[in-house]
Amino acid sequence: MSKTRPADYPRAAAATLRDTPEVRDAVTAATRTFDTHRRESWAQIDADRWRDWCRDVKEHVLTHLDDFLEQAETSLVANGVTVHWAERAEDALGILEHIVDAGRVRRVVKAKSMLTEELGVNAFLEGRGVHVRETDLGEYIIQLLGEPPSHIVGPAIHRSVDDCRRLFHDHFGTPLDATPEALAATARQALREEFLAADMGISGCNFLVAETGTLALIENEGNIRLSTSAPRVHVAFVGIEKLLPGMADLSGFLQITARAATGQPIGNYVSLIRGPRGSAESDGPEEVHVVLVDNGRTTLLADDVAREALRCVRCGACLNICPVYRQTGGHPYGFTYSGPIGAILAPALLGLEEAMPLPFASSLCGACADVCPVRIPIPDILLHWRERAVEAGLTPFVERMGVRAFGAAAGRPSTFSLAGGLLRYVPWALGGRALPVLGGWSAERTPPELSREPFHKHWKEGIE
Amino acid sequence: MSAARDRILGRVRSAVLGRTGADHPGAFHGWRPAPSSPDPVAGFTEVFTSAGGEVVHVAGMDLAAAWVRDFAASFAGVSLGVLLPDDFVPELSLAPAETAALGVSMATGAVAETGSLVLDARDGRRVQLLPPTHIVLVRRADVYATLAQALEVVSRDPPSAVGLHSGPSKSADIGQILVKGVHGPGRVIAVVVE
Amino acid sequence: MRVALFATCLGDRLFADACADAVRLLRKLGCEVDFPEGQTCCGQPAFNAGYVEEARRMARHTMEVFAGAEHVVLPSGSCAGMLRRYYPELFQGAARARAEDLAERTWELSQFIVRVLGVRELGAGLRGRHIAYHHGCHALRELGVRDEPVGLLRSAGADVVPWDADEECCGFGGLFSVKFPPVSTGMADRKLDSLPGVDVVTSADGGCLMQMSGRARRRGMTTPFRHLASVLLEATA
Repeated sequence: MSKTRPADYPRAAAATLRDTPEVRDAVTAATRTFDTHRRESWAQIDADRWRDWCRDVKEHVLTHLDDFLEQAETSLVANGVTVHWAERAEDALGILEHIVDAGRVRRVVKAKSMLTEELGVNAFLEGRGVHVRETDLGEYIIQLLGEPPSHIVGPAIHRSVDDCRRLFHDHFGTPLDATPEALAATARQALREEFLAADMGISGCNFLVAETGTLALIENEGNIRLSTSAPRVHVAFVGIEKLLPGMADLSGFLQITARAATGQPIGNYVSLIRGPRGSAESDGPEEVHVVLVDNGRTTLLADDVAREALRCVRCGACLNICPVYRQTGGHPYGFTYSGPIGAILAPALLGLEEAMPLPFASSLCGACADVCPVRIPIPDILLHWRERAVEAGLTPFVERMGVRAFGAAAGRPSTFSLAGGLLRYVPWALGGRALPVLGGWSAERTPPELSREPFHKHWKEGIE
Repeated sequence: MSAARDRILGRVRSAVLGRTGADHPGAFHGWRPAPSSPDPVAGFTEVFTSAGGEVVHVAGMDLAAAWVRDFAASFAGVSLGVLLPDDFVPELSLAPAETAALGVSMATGAVAETGSLVLDARDGRRVQLLPPTHIVLVRRADVYATLAQALEVVSRDPPSAVGLHSGPSKSADIGQILVKGVHGPGRVIAVVVE
Repeated sequence: MRVALFATCLGDRLFADACADAVRLLRKLGCEVDFPEGQTCCGQPAFNAGYVEEARRMARHTMEVFAGAEHVVLPSGSCAGMLRRYYPELFQGAARARAEDLAERTWELSQFIVRVLGVRELGAGLRGRHIAYHHGCHALRELGVRDEPVGLLRSAGADVVPWDADEECCGFGGLFSVKFPPVSTGMADRKLDSLPGVDVVTSADGGCLMQMSGRARRRGMTTPFRHLASVLLEATA
């Protein structure tokens, strides 16, 4: 399946709803479960105070990001880690290529990482004849399917158990009624061989602690622990916004991220990585590389409103509560990050024009802001990008003219009243043939009925 | 490469120029209702078992050794962590981590509030991850009430990697149905030693 | 107590009866109701679609129209939210101060009844009625209006039934409903699919009612949808 772009969202969303409505059901069930667990977990704590604290720590970091980046680099280097800096995706891939060549890397195991999705790491390596295997079970499933992830935390939530049974049957010959345990055992065996044969493990990073140079990675399966322990080279891609000041801060963030994502008190496995194996240690990588990646993050940082999106801890809570995301899952968004967070990151990471119409693919209901553990004001940032889009002339011409005309009329009450009187003559029944915007409504909804007479007339006549 | 570093840091600096305030808010206090028991071991047991882990209590290291010996009798091969005491369990059929059915590790700590075992790379990462059943010994004195305390202790003498293990390996990626033992051990037993 | 009614553009043309009921209700509660002439649109649809200049123009006009009013009451959570939450952000200096002043005097109808008039019981006119209440997103999240409408319905004898999706967005979102029709319709379906059997569905927002009833009619559902103002008036019987 070829990847779509944000511009394809209207068509792709419509196609998903029309042709594969089971996706909506699967995504709705999964996200409701995640959100229920989050709510139960937050009821055990003082969520408001946790969220305020997390927002404030991240604000502190982002306001002094240059200092923290330099401190992190110093700590990492002191730990024996090689630090690289990548401005754009192609730079990050170039750095990776250099490490692959220098290490004669033929086989790679990958831990789940949205940043490596963003950079296009898999396709890049495969294009150079390197065998790449995703090891997170959900990522493994979509790798076999040839699809991008549908959700930040659960890449395969758009797929049912039966889809997985069919997939494993085709690949491994497992029976079509195999239990989930049997499927997982099959995957475990196949991936076990991969871990042990790989030359390099590639991961992302949830948090980078500046004071100690510690990389913190969160998971439930153990594939990240194995990917970062078994192969002789470990490369971690780290977005420059992932920094935290110290280990005390890390303890708070590990807990809030897990509670927000799945309701757990902490991720089942947390890897706290300092550097290559110690001289007295019997296993672990011989080389550890950290690639600090910008790729549009400094653009975001420079935007006074949108920069708050950089606090994101990639928990997926906003996706889980979003009524728009639930309708289709992540694929129609055509971008690594979907749902509410995707819509506010895309204009900075892709450019506003390329990101259209994602900032508009929201009813502005505000549920996302209610659940964000780091209090990102997502609806306000959506409004901000919409204003920028209008300023840049990226909204449809007919819409611009319509809004301008409406706005002008609204300043002249008599004109407004006159225009309103013409509503009676709007041929709703003709729908899209009369005006595209009407077709949008009338295709699936009965048009509204005009009141017998407008209220302002009734008022003049006197209300009994 | 250092040119890229300078350009990135330069862009960061000009982006944050003029932004003031945003002091660090201070320590994270984990604001939540007081735990049902002040005993960290009780707290650890509650959270670890609710995540699918098992907890066993033994009165001393020699009793722990005996318990493990009995438990391991039915396992084809056992792989031992380096940090276990030298005379820990001599009569076992040992196997490398890649093929052992049972792994036994020595944790350097545990955390009550998150139900986590603190596993040190010096003990041996593969023993902690590859065998499908995992026994982890931890001394009562090393069980901390909070994650912050545990991380502070870890930071004093850190190995190349620390794993916080908070239950058996699990995934709900297949149709939202929970399965255990996907990559890491599907069964993990914490042996708390007085 | 003098109250200026802001009917809203949707209210004026599509929910005129509800606006009339709002007037009757406020009068029954002892208010003298004015209807300042020249009122048009609060500017929210334009603002939400990113057209700040047009929204600002409409806000300026609205601020002038309601300059002298002691209390401004709207039969619309989303329009009240626009005035309270976003008008101040559209301006600087003296205009901002005027917007803040207006914001403090602005209320959604049920919010006004409970918080300003201090009335929590309207009568017993809804005894025996099974009602589903849809919490419009702006009333809920911008104004914090949740207990007021439900409390007024219950105290009048209504059984406000549990509804799984009651706080979820109905999919209207102004222009969103026509920019992304299948997604918007899907969201309306989610509301309707989870709707228990009731005598009426009500809400403080005309846009939401239009969206849900429009989809319900197309699906052949006969559940009545009525504006909160009309249902609350019935409560006083």
